[in-house]
Amino acid sequence: MTHTLHRTGEIESLKKDFPMLTHVARGYNDIGAGERLKQMAEIARRYTDLNFGDCKVANKFMMPPEQIMQKHTVGWQVVFKDKKSLIACMKELKEKNIGISVVVSGLFDEVFACCKKAGINPPLIEFALGIHGNKEKLWPPEILEFVTMCGHGLVSGHLVKKMVEDIKKKKITIKKAATELAKPCLCGAFNPHRASILLRRMTRF
Amino acid sequence: MRIAIDKCVGCGRCVSYCPVGAIQLFRDEQNPKKKKSRIDEDECLECGVCFRANVCKPQAIYLPELKWPRVVRRAFSDPMVEHKETGVPGRGTEEMKTNEVTGRFKRGSWGMAVEVGRPGIGARLKDLELIAMALAEKGIVFEPRNPVTFLFEDVKTGRLKPELKNEKVLSAIIEFEVKPDQLGGVFQTLKDISGKVEAVFSVDLISFPEKEEKGPALEIATKLGFPVYPNGKVNLGLGRVLNK
Repeated sequence: MTHTLHRTGEIESLKKDFPMLTHVARGYNDIGAGERLKQMAEIARRYTDLNFGDCKVANKFMMPPEQIMQKHTVGWQVVFKDKKSLIACMKELKEKNIGISVVVSGLFDEVFACCKKAGINPPLIEFALGIHGNKEKLWPPEILEFVTMCGHGLVSGHLVKKMVEDIKKKKITIKKAATELAKPCLCGAFNPHRASILLRRMTRF
Repeated sequence: MRIAIDKCVGCGRCVSYCPVGAIQLFRDEQNPKKKKSRIDEDECLECGVCFRANVCKPQAIYLPELKWPRVVRRAFSDPMVEHKETGVPGRGTEEMKTNEVTGRFKRGSWGMAVEVGRPGIGARLKDLELIAMALAEKGIVFEPRNPVTFLFEDVKTGRLKPELKNEKVLSAIIEFEVKPDQLGGVFQTLKDISGKVEAVFSVDLISFPEKEEKGPALEIATKLGFPVYPNGKVNLGLGRVLNK
């Protein structure tokens, strides 16, 4: 599962996009992990309420977070829009030392700067080395920015286009459209704040 | 996924939710003034997005019981489904996410993943086979815990079970370890295969962050024209062994 990798977009847009995930290590710290995941989720949710989810359960737009936390499986996802909150969350997770793995995605320079401020020395990283093959089939870049916010590919480019049309026709607000786009992404890795900014840019006329 | 035609009122609200555009509105033959939604079963990935969108008021969308080999579509397209073979939901493994606990990746080699069908268009499994067989020829050994490995008829050659070749999934990940003497061959193989597949694929590289670790791999990738995104994943190293 590499579902928070390969997010595309302009640097300025990616500066407001930091998905965080936790994951238990099967056979190493999975026994009784539900309570630990819940403790960590409670910490993270104090610093960001943009999204929250567990891909085997639901995201916060489908089910209340408290209910998701009762059903935790192997991990959860949240997403941050700013470094200040991310650093504060990283610091507290480190201090509490609960023992479940945490991964943060984003611009490497930004994430490493946050790690440094939080006193964290990351042991491993993962690079995205592009999209290959029959690229003519891909969505255009402005749609791909939304689609790649769900690494499982559950956010439809057709839905992005529909939301843009509906905003232009004043059938839906930008905020509600961003939420509608976040719903199919079960994990909660989709960033509705960034989606709002992108939708505003696409519907400016 | 299926739509019960007798329940569908032809509102078309489900159409845009399908990631691969497999739902279309068509004119009802019984009543040409009305429209109905229809799912193209050959294109449908069984991801469940249309069903979970909860936009169908008459509840015409339903999940049928799937049999082999079609059930593979759902297993690789719906993250809510846990693979029986691996116990991991979704398409891959824990890969780098828990490495500070498991020690799966070691210094001096790299983890790689080729995600067929990503982003957002899906792929027939024959494309996965094409890539897997080309990598196997370079001596690549596929990650045994990845659910894709269970689709191979011959895991050494990357040959798929024949009945799976035309099945379509949202994405499937080929995971493997690359040793220094394999790097050039692997990247060249991926470059060569790029023009031969019908779908798209994304390439991932897992490394320790120090320059002497990531440097050799990134240098070869860049030389062969692979872009290195400025964003990626960072394991914070906060996990530890807790099971007693």
